[in-house]
Amino acid sequence: MFDDKRPEELAYVGRSSDRPDTMEKLTGEATYVSDMRLPGMLHAQVKKSPHARARIVRIDTGKAAAMPGVRAIITGDEVDVHIGLYIVDKYVLAKGEVRHYGEAVAAVAADSLEEARAAADAIEVEYEVLPPVLHHMDALKPDAPLVHPDLGSYGYVAAAFTPMPGTNIANHTKLRKGDVDKGFAEAAYIVEREYDCPSVQHVPMETHVAIVQWGKGDRVSIWTSAQSPFTVRNLFCHAFGLAHAQVRVQIPYVGGGFGGKAGIGVEPLCAVLSRKAGGRPVKFQATREEEFSLLPCRSALTYRIKTGVSAEGKIVAQQMTMYWDSGAYADYAVNVTRASGYSASGPYEIPNAWVDAYTIYTNKPYGTAYRGFGHVEFHWAVERHMELVAQAIGMDPLLFRLKNALRPGSKTLTGETIQKNTGNVVACIEDAARRIHYGDLTPEEKERQKQTGWKIGKGVAALHKAPAMPPFTATAVILKMNEDGSVLVNLALTDYGQGTYTSIRQIVAERLGFPPKKIRVAFENDTDRDPYDWQTVASKGLVLSGNAAILAAEDLLKNAYDVAAQALHANPRDLAHDGERVFLRHHPDKGVSFSSMAVGLALPNGNGIGGPLIGVGRYIAQGLSNLNKETGEGTPALDWTFGAHGMIVEVNEESGEYRVLKVASVYDVGRAINPDMVRGQAIGGMMQGLGTATCEGYIYDKDGRLLNPSFTDNKIPTAKDLPLEVECAVVETPQIDGPYGARGVGEHSMISVAPALGNAIQKATGAELTHMPMRFEDVWRALENREPIDNWITKSPVGSCRSAPEARPKE
Amino acid sequence: MKITLTVNGDRYERECAEHHTLLRFIRETLGLTGTKEGCGMGECGACTVIMNGRAVNSCMVLAAEADGAVIQTIEGEAKGPTLSDIQASFERNHAVQCGFCTPGMVMSVKELLASDPHPSVDAIKEAVEGNFCRCTGYTQIVEAVTELTGTGAKGGLDHV
Amino acid sequence: MLHPFRYLAPQSAQELAAMLADHASDGKILAGGTDLIPNIRNGVFKPSVVIDVKKLPDASSLRLGADGLSLGPAVTVNDILRSKDARERYPVLCACAHELASHQVRNRATVAGNVVNASPCSDMAPALLCLDAVAVIGSGTGQRELPFREFFTGVKKTALKPGEWLDRIVVPASSAGARGSYLKLKRIAGHDLGIVGVLFVRLGGSLRFGVSSAAPTPVLVDTVTAKDGPDQAAATVLGSVSPISDVRGTKEYRQHMIGVFVRRLLAEVK
Ligand SMILES: Cc1cc2nc3c(=O)[nH]c(=O)nc-3n(C[C@H](O)[C@H](O)[C@H](O)COP(=O)(O)OP(=O)(O)OC[C@H]3O[C@@H](n4cnc5c(N)ncnc54)[C@H](O)[C@@H]3O)c2cc1C
Ligand code: FES
Ligand code: FES
Repeated sequence: MFDDKRPEELAYVGRSSDRPDTMEKLTGEATYVSDMRLPGMLHAQVKKSPHARARIVRIDTGKAAAMPGVRAIITGDEVDVHIGLYIVDKYVLAKGEVRHYGEAVAAVAADSLEEARAAADAIEVEYEVLPPVLHHMDALKPDAPLVHPDLGSYGYVAAAFTPMPGTNIANHTKLRKGDVDKGFAEAAYIVEREYDCPSVQHVPMETHVAIVQWGKGDRVSIWTSAQSPFTVRNLFCHAFGLAHAQVRVQIPYVGGGFGGKAGIGVEPLCAVLSRKAGGRPVKFQATREEEFSLLPCRSALTYRIKTGVSAEGKIVAQQMTMYWDSGAYADYAVNVTRASGYSASGPYEIPNAWVDAYTIYTNKPYGTAYRGFGHVEFHWAVERHMELVAQAIGMDPLLFRLKNALRPGSKTLTGETIQKNTGNVVACIEDAARRIHYGDLTPEEKERQKQTGWKIGKGVAALHKAPAMPPFTATAVILKMNEDGSVLVNLALTDYGQGTYTSIRQIVAERLGFPPKKIRVAFENDTDRDPYDWQTVASKGLVLSGNAAILAAEDLLKNAYDVAAQALHANPRDLAHDGERVFLRHHPDKGVSFSSMAVGLALPNGNGIGGPLIGVGRYIAQGLSNLNKETGEGTPALDWTFGAHGMIVEVNEESGEYRVLKVASVYDVGRAINPDMVRGQAIGGMMQGLGTATCEGYIYDKDGRLLNPSFTDNKIPTAKDLPLEVECAVVETPQIDGPYGARGVGEHSMISVAPALGNAIQKATGAELTHMPMRFEDVWRALENREPIDNWITKSPVGSCRSAPEARPKE
Repeated sequence: MKITLTVNGDRYERECAEHHTLLRFIRETLGLTGTKEGCGMGECGACTVIMNGRAVNSCMVLAAEADGAVIQTIEGEAKGPTLSDIQASFERNHAVQCGFCTPGMVMSVKELLASDPHPSVDAIKEAVEGNFCRCTGYTQIVEAVTELTGTGAKGGLDHV
Repeated sequence: MLHPFRYLAPQSAQELAAMLADHASDGKILAGGTDLIPNIRNGVFKPSVVIDVKKLPDASSLRLGADGLSLGPAVTVNDILRSKDARERYPVLCACAHELASHQVRNRATVAGNVVNASPCSDMAPALLCLDAVAVIGSGTGQRELPFREFFTGVKKTALKPGEWLDRIVVPASSAGARGSYLKLKRIAGHDLGIVGVLFVRLGGSLRFGVSSAAPTPVLVDTVTAKDGPDQAAATVLGSVSPISDVRGTKEYRQHMIGVFVRRLLAEVK
C-alpha cells in the first residue's frame, strides 16, 4: 500500500487537519448512549454479590416482583446463556456460584431507575460463602480451590489457546527459541528478578451502557457504548443462538474505551430483561463503582525474568515466566497472555529464549484488554529488569539497551527477521535520551537540586508492540459519492476519540485528490449499514482501515473513470481528474464533473449511464500465521511500532515524594498521517501510563472485597499531575505495507512509562522498585529497605508473590 | 415541587422531583444532555455547569436548590451557529478526544476566564483539576487556554 | 441516583429548629451537599427529609467584625479564598482552604459542612483548631458557643446535640495575623483526600500544629515550645496522634511523614 512519496508531494497526508467530530462534542450535540432514551424504555439495575466466592443457595425475588413499576426480574437460573470470546466460561448472570465480588446475580427492569434500584435491593439472596482463591500465585498451588471445575467442558479457540482442566490455568502459552540451557551455561552473569503490577481500571469517562430491544420475531436492536460493533453482534448471536440477520448493533459517540469496551459487556443483560419485559427497550448504565467490579479490569501480573549475559554485555539467554491474573473469567486475558508471550523480551534480541505465560483464574473481577494489551505490564518488568541487569554487570543501562536492541537482521522471539523497514528502536532510544540530556545533570538541574534538596534522576525505557489479532484480521471501507460530488465514508472501525477518522479522511482525500472538507466520515457505527470490521483494538485500525480506504478510493476513481470514459468517448488511460471533475489529459477543458456522475450520469438525450458511484476497499492482514503451540514460532506481527520514553524526575529521599519534571516520548510511527492526532495519542497515553505508574490499582481485603471501587480511593491523574515538560517526537521509517507508510501508535504511548519513571527514580536515589504503582510510600519503603506494603496493590496479604512455585509445572 | 430557573438565557418553570440532582434535571427534565455524568460523586467534573457565575458539580446540587438560579451549560456556549472563543480554541488545539469530559471542561475554563482573563499555566491546571480527562492527557487543553489568551502557542510534534 | 426524599428550606432559625425537631431521626441538614449528597448516593445516609440551611437569613455572610471573622453556615471554602479580609488577616485559613478538594467542589463546599462532617481528614479543621475558632451553635432554645478544641468527639462525630446546628463560626480577632503553612500529603498532585496533613501556625509566641488524617478526629497540638528542636517537636506531635493503616497509606508511613512535615514546616515558617 505504501506510496514512496516525499512529504512535500502529499497534499493532505502528514499535515494538520480538523477533526470531523469536535464541533458536535464541543457543543454538547454529540449523542452518547448514556444520553439516549427510547419510547417505552425501562431502566435496569443489578443485584451484585458481596462475596468473592459463594454458592447461591436461594434467590427470592417475590418481594421485588411485587414492587411498583417492576416489569421484569431475572436470575441466573433462568438464563442458560454462555458468553466468551476465546473461552466460553461466563454466564450472563451468575449461576450456582458467584466467582467474584461485584458479580451480577439478578437483575431488574422497571419504569424508573429508582423503582429498579428499590426492587434490586429487595431481592433476597442466600449465599453459602466458600473460601476464595484470591492471589494468582496461590491459585497455582495444588490444593487451591478451582474457580472453574468444569473448565474441561468449555468451548475454546483451540488454534491459539491451551486451557488446563483440573487446574486454575486458563491458558498456557509457550515459546522456545534456541537453547536456553546452553545459553545460560555460556553466560558470564545471570540475573534473576521478579516484578509485579496490580489490576487496574480503564476508567473511560463514560461507563459501560447499553440499550437493547428484543423485538417480536426475535429481532434484536442494540445501542451500545462499545468499540467493536461486529464483535458485539457476533458474540451476541453465538450466545443466544440467533442468526446475524436478526441482530443490529448501533454505536453512536463513545465516551472512551481503552480496551474495556473491546468485546461484549452489558448488552446480554439488557437483552434478557427486554425479552422478559415483552420487548420494551431496556437500558443499563454501570455506575462508576460497578465499572470497577461488575465490568472487567486489566489483569495483574507477576513476571519472573532470568537473564544470562555475556562478558561484553550481550544477552545470551533469557527465561521468562509470566503469571497473569485473569480473575474469574478468561475474556481477553488469555489472549493478553498469548500476545505478551510472543513479545515478552521487549525490543531486544534474545538468541536463546524460553517463555511460559500462564493465565490464571482467581475469584476477582476479571481481566480484559487494556491499552497496550499486556505490554504496559510486562514492559514494566522488562525495562526495570534491563536497568537492574545493567547495574548488576556494571554497564550503563542505555548502552546495555542499545547493545541488545533489535536491529535489521535480528530475530524476534517467534523467529521473524527484523528488516530495515520494520522500524528503528535504536533511533527512538537515542533520541529520547538526547531529549533529556541523559547521563548527567545540566547546570540548571544541578542548581535546582541544590535549591530544593530533591535529587534529580533520569531514566530511559524502550518499548515495542505489534497488533494482537488473528492472523487473518480483515476490514472494509465503503465510499459513497453524494449528489454534489462529495464523499461519505462508511467503516465499522470505531473512533471513540483516538482520531482515526480524521486520519482516514486525510487518506481518502489524498488518494482521491479531494479536499478533506468534501469528505465526511460517518461517526455512528451500524452493523446494518457499515461494512465489516473485526474490532477497534490492537493499534491496527489506521493500518488496516487506512489500506482499505486507499483501495476504496481507487475503486471509486476507477468507477468514475469508467463512466467518464464512456461519456467522453475516451480510453480511461487518457483521463485525469481534480477535486471537481474527470477530464481528458490532452484536452483538460473536456471533462465531466463528479457531481454529474455521482448518482449516474444523464446524457443530453436523457439516457443514463453508470449509476451511483461507490468505492469498495477490502483489506486483510497479509502473510501472518498462527504460532506453533509448542515453540511459539510463526509470524504474528502486522507491524512493530517501536518507541522509547526519557524521563526526568526529582525525588525527596527523606519522604519518597517525587515530581516528574520532563517526559520525552519518541515513536517510530512510519508516517504521521496527522501529527496532531499522533501527539494526542502520545500525550494521552503517556498520562494514562503515568496513572498506572504512580497511583492506580485495585486494593482488596482478605475476603476478596474491592476496597477502592471509586474515584475517592482510585485516583487518576489530573491536569495538576502533568509533568512540567512534555515532548513528543516521531521517527518515520516507512512501513512498506502501511497506508502511506504508517503504523499504529494508539497503545504504545502508554507502554514503558512506568519503567522510565522507575529507572529515573532509581537513578536519583538508588531505590529499587519492582512493583507498581510507585506510590510515594513505595519509594520511601524501597529507600529504607522495608518490606513492601502488605496489600493487594503490591503484595498479597495471604500469600506473597514470593511464594510462587519454584519449578515450572511439568511439561 | 415547582422550580423556576434560567438556563442558557431561557426561563423554565418545571416540576422537579425533590431528590433529583440538578444534573438529572438538566439532562432528563430539560433534555439538555450535553452535560455528562462520569461518577455522580463530585470527583470527575463531567457534570460541571455554571450556576450563578460559579462552576459547580451539578451531580451534587439538588434541582430544588437551583430554584431561582441562573445556569449555563455547554448548550448555551456557542453564539448561534458559531463556536465561542473557548470552543474554537479547543477545536484548533485538538483538546477534544472522546468528548465526554469536554462540556464540563469548557464550563470550568469559562468560569476561570471570566475572573482571570490571562491565567498562568498553574491557574489553568488548578481550574480544571476537578475535571478528569482520560483521553487527552490535558496538555492540549492547557494549550487551548494559553493559545486563546495569548500566553502560549499550539503544541506540535517533532520529527526526528 | 438518589433515593426519594423531601427537600425543605427553612427561612428562619425558628423554622429550622421546628423542622429538626420534627425530623430528629430522619432529617439531614444540607449545606453545600458535597459530603451529604455523595453519602446519600452511596447509601450511607437515607434521610427522608433534607433541610437546606442556605436560605437562613445571613447564612452566606462572611464578616470581619471586632470579635473576628464570622462565617455563616453557607459560606463556602472558595468564599474564604476570595475574601480579601480572610486573605490578609487569616492567611492560615486560606492555606487550608486552598488544599480542600477541587475548585468546583470548593465553590459549593461550606466551612461549616466541613467541620460538622467531622472527617478525620477535614482540611478546614486544622486551621480552625489552631486559630482558636469558636462554633456558635444554634438550637430551638437559643445559642451556645463551643471552642473547636471541644467540637470533634470521634470519627465523624461532633459535640452537636440532636436539634442543634452550627450557626456560625467565629475566628477570633486575637488570631488575626497568625502565620503558617499547611502541608498535605496526597496520592496525586490533583485533588485528593489527605494521607496526612500538618498545619503549622505561629500565633504570637505560641506554636501550634493542626494535624489531619492521623487520628479519629483532627488534632491540635499546642505543647511544642519555641525552645524545642525539630526532632523534639516532631516527637511531641507524634505523641498526640494515632494514625492507622488504610488504603491510602500505612500507619508507619503516616507517622514518618508527620515527622517530615513538622521538620519541614519549622524550617519554612520562620
Ligand atoms: C470530590 C470531593 C473531594 C473532597 N475533598 C476534600 C478534601 O480534600 N478535604 C476535605 O476536608 N474535604 C473534602 N471533601 C468533603 C467535602 O467537600 C467537605 O467536607 C465540605 O466542606 C463539606 O461541606 P458541605 O457544605 O458540602 O457539607 P454538606 O455535605 O452539606 O454537609 C456535610 C455534613 O454536615 C452537616 N451539616 C452541614 N452544615 C451544617 C450545619 N450548619 N449545622 C449542622 N450540620 C450541618 C450535614 O448534615 C452533613 O452531614 C471532598 C468532597 C468531594 C465530593
Ligand atoms: S459526575 Fe459530577 S463530578 Fe463526576
Ligand atoms: S476527551 Fe475523553 S475524557 Fe476527555
